[in-house]
Amino acid sequence: MSVRDLKGGKRYWVLSACLVWLVFTLFPLYWVAITSLKSPVDVVGGPTYIPFVDFQPTLKAWKDLFSGARGGFFSTFWASTIVGLSASVIATLVGSMAAYALVRFPFKVRLASGIIFFIVAMGGYLLGSEVFGVNPAMASIVAFCVALALSIFLNRFALPGAVLGNDDIIFWFVSQRLFPPIVVAFALFLLYTEMGKLGFKMTDTYFGLTLAYVAFSLPIVVWLMRDFIAILPVDVEEAALVENVPSWRIFFGIVLPMARPGLIATFVITLAFVWNEFLFALFLTNSKWQTLPILVAGQNSQRGDEWWAISAAALVAIIPMVIIAGLLGRLMRSGLTIGAVK
Amino acid sequence: MATINIENVTKSFGEVEVIPSLDLQVADGEFVVLVGPSGCGKTTTLRMIAGLETATSGTVSIGSRDVTHLRPGLRNCAMVFQSYALFPHMTVGENITYGMKVRGEDKQKAHAAMKEASRILNLDDYLDRKPAELSGGQRQRVAIGRALVRDPDVFLFDEPLSNLDAKLRIEMRTEIKQLHRRLKSTIVYVTHDQVEAMTMADRVVVMQGGVIEQAADPITLYERPRNLFVASFIGAPSMNMLAGQVAMEDGQPVFVSNNGFRVPAPAHLATAAGEAMVLGIRPEHTGEDSSLGPCIKATVIEMEPLGPHTLLIGKVGDEKFTAQMPASNKSQPDDVVDVYLDRSKLHFFRASDGLALRESA
Ligand SMILES: Nc1ncnc2c1ncn2[C@@H]1O[C@H](COP(=O)(O)OP(=O)(O)O)[C@@H](O)[C@H]1O
Ligand SMILES: [Mg+2]
Repeated sequence: MSVRDLKGGKRYWVLSACLVWLVFTLFPLYWVAITSLKSPVDVVGGPTYIPFVDFQPTLKAWKDLFSGARGGFFSTFWASTIVGLSASVIATLVGSMAAYALVRFPFKVRLASGIIFFIVAMGGYLLGSEVFGVNPAMASIVAFCVALALSIFLNRFALPGAVLGNDDIIFWFVSQRLFPPIVVAFALFLLYTEMGKLGFKMTDTYFGLTLAYVAFSLPIVVWLMRDFIAILPVDVEEAALVENVPSWRIFFGIVLPMARPGLIATFVITLAFVWNEFLFALFLTNSKWQTLPILVAGQNSQRGDEWWAISAAALVAIIPMVIIAGLLGRLMRSGLTIGAVK
Repeated sequence: MATINIENVTKSFGEVEVIPSLDLQVADGEFVVLVGPSGCGKTTTLRMIAGLETATSGTVSIGSRDVTHLRPGLRNCAMVFQSYALFPHMTVGENITYGMKVRGEDKQKAHAAMKEASRILNLDDYLDRKPAELSGGQRQRVAIGRALVRDPDVFLFDEPLSNLDAKLRIEMRTEIKQLHRRLKSTIVYVTHDQVEAMTMADRVVVMQGGVIEQAADPITLYERPRNLFVASFIGAPSMNMLAGQVAMEDGQPVFVSNNGFRVPAPAHLATAAGEAMVLGIRPEHTGEDSSLGPCIKATVIEMEPLGPHTLLIGKVGDEKFTAQMPASNKSQPDDVVDVYLDRSKLHFFRASDGLALRESA
């Protein structure tokens, strides 16, 4: 049944229910917007609702924000933008490649070689750091590389035990997002600090933060893009194969353009994740590469609950995402029409 | 242009054997049509020639090259897919020249080839359109155009007309045939439609269950089907089959139907006396003219006037029987009608293995 089928009074009931819901969702935004225009007196002296009627709007919060009186606003905005964009672009691209491979080629991973990887990586690390007293970061890097090479090599042989397929690999990807991010954030922080001791500065760097976000976003990207790629007609790629088009060109020249709506959707979702991400940014940055969520949260702690300042900062954090989602949403819809040609 | 040589090829998908063993030679410039019911392995065979599937065993050669393990791009085949498989984000022009562009061929040359193909295929007005803005027939022509500009050794078509409506299908049939006459190219064409196969092919390869039942020119296939399957698959409406056995009367072989009628059989069937046999006769070789040959009695179920003649859909005993009667025949359902069989057009198939028994064989 569709709303269009409803007659007379029922229609108005549905309409008013929708309106109530609209007000319900828009009100917080409205509240943030007017609060950012209030003076401290108007905020603490009980609720006021309508500018010029209830209270006299002032741009003080905005002036403070842009003048940098409350933390480097421009550098934070810049950090959020460039880390967000680059992490989303890289994650979408790399994740799409992984998704394509997982859709088109069957993989066989032997459970035994996975276990060997785990044992060698953990054991090697413990051995290196506890017994031989090697620096922990170095020990983990070496153990990881050895374990990876060994397990890939051993995977060629008929080891006993279960053989995992593409669906298991996908599940493994997604499962990385099933446990609380704080676990990862803490581990990453330790790893980055250790790497810092080796001379690779990772905390509070563009590289470190972007890398963390790429890793953090990949599971979702792979999971989303797998479905978008799976619906593409394989004939089209085969037609290109027969034309002697190299694989990388098939991927970039044919698969990606055909998956454009999905790519855009995935990009926007990833960008939203990274843009709003708080925990990693809190752990991995301290000044130079601080992102907007940290700035917004910071408004609270520095000098008490200055809601007008928090509101202005929150709006700045929201608006770019709204614009991007709107623009790309339109692009996405225009892309849907060129999809598969039957 | 080149020959194709498929020798002892088998193909299995995992445990499932789709093609038990296949041998097929295609001559240079020959138009070969693979035909058979859905799922009989036509597409798989075509894809093994193109390199999209690898033969499980055996060899595939194109010209003098053994291409069994060569990747598709290096086989110099052009393939037209059932779904057309156009690149949806490219215009018609880009679709046609994409392969040349990727292979780094000269731009001017690519453009000239594209112009030539679009002229042959009447696509001049659509070069800047996207595939989504084209009709089925136009998309089909773009797919053919994309194959044309390659100047390949072999053209491969996989049911290219099955998504078109009936009228367009007949038009495109003629166009593809003319194209073949002009290019003199080697073509392997797959269809499940026996009319398409008969009308287009130099040679028709009838397949069933991954096995070639018969490979011959259309007329031979029609007049001398090798076995029951080919006989019933080729021709529309299909051949009537009546079960019975061969008996000897006065030293002459006679076919005695399970329904009780008798038809004098050719002399060479004497050796098969006593064997269970199937008599085949095409509807177009029956009639009401008593000079044709032996007579059987058919009960009318329905009359189907087609204009030039009328089909009598009926039964002989409990076996279905279709006869082609002159338009003047006004029989009614439930009438019992004398139907005469053209004695020179009778086919006899041994019931045990379905093979046709013929004088020369
Ligand atoms: N990739 C595949 N995996 C498993 N079975 C397949 C595959 N491709 C085809 N088959 C099977 O092989 C048989 C022949 O298929 P196909 O060559 O497409 O038949 P046709 O084109 O004559 O209709 C079918 O039974 C089909 O189910
Ligand atoms: Mg097929």
